[in-house]
Amino acid sequence: MRKLLLMAAGLGLAAVTAGAQERTLPDKLAPATRATLERLIDSARTAGIPSVPLYDKVSEGVLKGGDDDRIVRAVRTLARELSDARTVFGPGAELPLLSAGASALHAGVAVNDLRRIASSSGAATDPGTLTTALVTLVDLVAKRVPVALATSSIQSLVDRHASDRQFSELRNGVEQDILAGRAPDASVTARIKLQGITPP
Amino acid sequence: MRDQDNETISGELADAIELLREQPSVRPAWRDDLLRQAYAPESAGTAAPTRAWRVSLSVPWALAAGIACALIGAGGAMLVRRPAIAPANVIAEQHVAESAAVMLPVRFSLSAPSAARVSIVGDFNNWNPATLPMRRSADGRVWEVEVRLPLGRYNYAFMVDGRLARDPGAPSTADDDFGTPNSVLMVRGS
Repeated sequence: MRKLLLMAAGLGLAAVTAGAQERTLPDKLAPATRATLERLIDSARTAGIPSVPLYDKVSEGVLKGGDDDRIVRAVRTLARELSDARTVFGPGAELPLLSAGASALHAGVAVNDLRRIASSSGAATDPGTLTTALVTLVDLVAKRVPVALATSSIQSLVDRHASDRQFSELRNGVEQDILAGRAPDASVTARIKLQGITPP
Repeated sequence: MRDQDNETISGELADAIELLREQPSVRPAWRDDLLRQAYAPESAGTAAPTRAWRVSLSVPWALAAGIACALIGAGGAMLVRRPAIAPANVIAEQHVAESAAVMLPVRFSLSAPSAARVSIVGDFNNWNPATLPMRRSADGRVWEVEVRLPLGRYNYAFMVDGRLARDPGAPSTADDDFGTPNSVLMVRGS
């Protein structure tokens, strides 16, 4: 039985490996920057912070033409945000949720507000939906919805056990409203009301 | 055996048919012994290659193999029944059994009729524009590429004639680390 289970697990592993990207630091970095980044990523890894998003941030920075100092700063900031997100969501939190949490912190959401959203009974049921909620929150902030309004709106949806579909509808609705010339904050308030939730 | 006169045969025949349909009860020890003999090499000198799973076959192993095949078959069926290709700008519409092994096809598309070259960059390809070039659709207006991705959350952007562009239909990051925000894709399990 053990052999069969190992065989089945092996088949699954092959599929994951086929899709996984080997993370390495890009060649374009100066040797000193590379050494700094390697130390930074190693200490993050030692602290239990996933290293994959840090490598990805370096690659993104190189592609976007960021200078070495800026790349190091961005990686250091991301490591801190991932660490804060891990404190909020717990050591067992999976990478998508940690990344979404770090992204929310980067967008200006306060750690305490993130903690409040995470401790909602609606958030406890499905980490995937909580991740969707945070992606939506960051998208609202990117659309120039004030952080406080975006945060409290998402909090109210999470409290009401909103589904993935409801978060998607909110995001799409706000986007349409903005394209039609409506102010982002007015759009969010109206859209939240449409979902049967008292505006914050 | 019982006597077989014409009058009783039909009833007994029916009983016999029923009996034949049932699995004979076999002592496990006898069955194990039979299987050992059946799968033993003909002689110690013949080095016919023997597959490991056959050597250790026993009734519990056979049951285990049956269960494992059923599970693998069910997993395969689940993959076959997954939704078709998800457009990248739809959050969380892929609901399949959560497993690290699940890879889902995601189709990225961008309307850019006047572009000469479009590719996609993101967390899934080390932000390397050479690895995922997009193809122009038959009508020449839309650029497309399909990528199989494990469950997760990904930052990405389009590279249109050397310039980065976010996906207009996908959520954005508020990330201004390098001056241009990314789009976000979630490949979700449930």
